[in-house]
Amino acid sequence: MTCGGSAPRDYEAKVAGGRALGDGSGLLAVECEDIASAAEPGQFVMVRPGSCGDPFLGRPLAVAATSGGIFKMLYRVVGRGTELLVSKRQGDSLVVRGPIGRGFFSSRGDMPLPKKVLLAGGSVGAAPLLFAARRLGMAKVAGVSMGVSGRGWEGFAEWLKESFPGVALFSDDGSVGTKGTALDGLPCQLPADTEIWACGPQGMLRALAAKYPEDRARIRVALESRMACGMGGCLGCVIPTARGNRRVCVDGPVFTAEEVLWNEFAD
Amino acid sequence: MSSRTEMHVSIGGLNLESPVIIASGVWPYEAELWSPERLEGVGALCTKAVSLNGRAGNKGVRVWETPCGMLNSIGLQNGGVRSFLDDYLPLVRGAYRPFLVNLVMESEREVRESIAALAEIPGIPAIELNISCPNVDGDGMAWGISAESAAKAVRIARSEWKGALWVKLTPQSPDLAGVAKAAEAEGADALVCGNTWLGMAMDIKKKRPVFQRVVAGLSGPAVFPLALRTVWQVCGAVKLPVIGCGGVASWEDATAMLLAGASAVEVGSALFTDFDLPRKIVAGLSTYLAEQKIDTVSGLTGLGRHE
Repeated sequence: MTCGGSAPRDYEAKVAGGRALGDGSGLLAVECEDIASAAEPGQFVMVRPGSCGDPFLGRPLAVAATSGGIFKMLYRVVGRGTELLVSKRQGDSLVVRGPIGRGFFSSRGDMPLPKKVLLAGGSVGAAPLLFAARRLGMAKVAGVSMGVSGRGWEGFAEWLKESFPGVALFSDDGSVGTKGTALDGLPCQLPADTEIWACGPQGMLRALAAKYPEDRARIRVALESRMACGMGGCLGCVIPTARGNRRVCVDGPVFTAEEVLWNEFAD
Repeated sequence: MSSRTEMHVSIGGLNLESPVIIASGVWPYEAELWSPERLEGVGALCTKAVSLNGRAGNKGVRVWETPCGMLNSIGLQNGGVRSFLDDYLPLVRGAYRPFLVNLVMESEREVRESIAALAEIPGIPAIELNISCPNVDGDGMAWGISAESAAKAVRIARSEWKGALWVKLTPQSPDLAGVAKAAEAEGADALVCGNTWLGMAMDIKKKRPVFQRVVAGLSGPAVFPLALRTVWQVCGAVKLPVIGCGGVASWEDATAMLLAGASAVEVGSALFTDFDLPRKIVAGLSTYLAEQKIDTVSGLTGLGRHE
C-alpha cells in the first residue's frame, strides 16, 4: 500500500499566535511555508509539544486554515501533550511533521466534485471542515451542521458562528444552540448530487453512516485514530475496511463511510 | 561532513556506509521514503516483519504513549513472504543499500518455507531472524527465551539460509548471555540486541487493560539504559558483532552503544518523531571522532570496555 500524496517532512516551526476559544479549546497558528502551501482540507500534522523525549510522540491535529505561510489548527486539551501546546506563545518553537494523508479532495482520485456538499462536524472536528468550506467556496456548501457537548463550549460556538455563517448548532445539553447532535441538522434523505463531508467523534461518524445506509459512498469522513508516527510506518492507526486494514494516517484520514467496517471499528 | 570510510562498518557479511540501521517495524513502504535523500545517514534497513502467510495483526488499541516511550501491540501485520517479494522487494532494492529481511521465527515448517521463498530470489543480502515470537510447536514461550530453544531456532534458519543471518534477541530472556552464545555456536553472523520490553497499560476510565493481549512491547528513550546494559552483557559473552537496539534517540546514545561493544545501532521509535535522526547521528559521531582523534567509527566499538 502506498499513499497518493507525497510523504510528510519534519519542520521546526514557530508559533505565530493562538486564540483560546473556551473549555480548553483554541486555535494555534504556526509558521511553516511548506505545510501551509501544500496542505489540503482533511490533511493533518503531527505536532510535538515536548522536548527531551517527553511527551514522546506527536499529536495528530487537522489543518483548519492556511494563509501566507501560516497554518492553523484547532485543539482541545485532552492530556499532557495538548496542555503543553496551549502553553506555547508566539515565537515558541514546535516540531511539526506534515502535511499528512489524503484529504477530502485527493481521496477522491479522479472522481469529480459533487454539486453540493453538506458539512457535519463534532467539536474540534470542525477544523478540516472549515478548511474544506474555504476551498470549496460557500456557493458549493449546501449547509453546515455542528455539534458540541454543551456548557463550557459557548466561546467555541461563537467562533463556529463567525467561521460558518448560517451554521446549524447543536449541543448535547441544549445549552448551546438546539439540543441534539450535528446529525439533527442534516436532511432525512440525502439529495442527489450532494455529499456529506464530516469529522468528529467516532460515535457521531458511526451514527452518520447508520443514518444513510444507502448513501454511504457519498459520505466522506475524516477519521481520528491513536497513532505513533504519521508516516505509515507503525501500523498503530489501522482501521478495518472492506479492503482489509487501512492506515488512518496515510491511506486516510478521509475515507468514504462505505469503506469503513463500522461494526468492527472499535472505539 | 563525514567521509564514507570514516563511517564505514563491516558487520556479519554486510558492508554499511554508516553504523545506523533502521530497525524493523518502522519504515513504511512508501516509495518517496526510500529515495536516497530521505535515507541520508542510513547504513542499512530492516524490513517490516515478514511471516510465511499474511497476518492481519492485532485488534483494538495498538499504540499507547508512555513516559519517554511507547507501547505497541501491532501483531506483526504483514502480507506474507510472497506479498513482500512481489509488492515491496523492488522498492527495498531501489534504496541501493544493504537491507535485512526481518523474518518472524514461526514454526519450523513455516520458517523453512519462508526462507526457501527468500532464497529463490537472488540478491537478498541478509535475514534478521526475530526470535521474540512464541514457539507454537514447543512450550509457547518465545524462541529467544532459553538458550536451548534459541539454538534450535538459529539451527533451523542457518540450515536453510546461505546469506548473512543476524539474530534479533529478546530482552525478556533471563539468560541473555546463554542465548547469545547459543546463537553464535549455531552459526549466526551477528546479533541484534535487542527488541521491545514487555509492559502493559491500564485504561483507568474503562477499568480494563489497554491492549487486547494485555501485554505490549515498550520502546523509546525510556528503555535505552536497559538496552545498553544488555548490549554490554552480550558483548561480554560472544565474539560476534552486536548491533545495539533499544531507545537510541541521539548520537550520544549511539556512541554509548558503540563504546559498550556494539558495532552498529538500530533506530526505531525515535524515527516516529524525527525523520532526520540517522543523518544527525552520523554528523554527531563524525564530530566526536574528530574531537577524540579516532580515525573510524569502528574504532569506537568496545572502547568503553577497556580499563
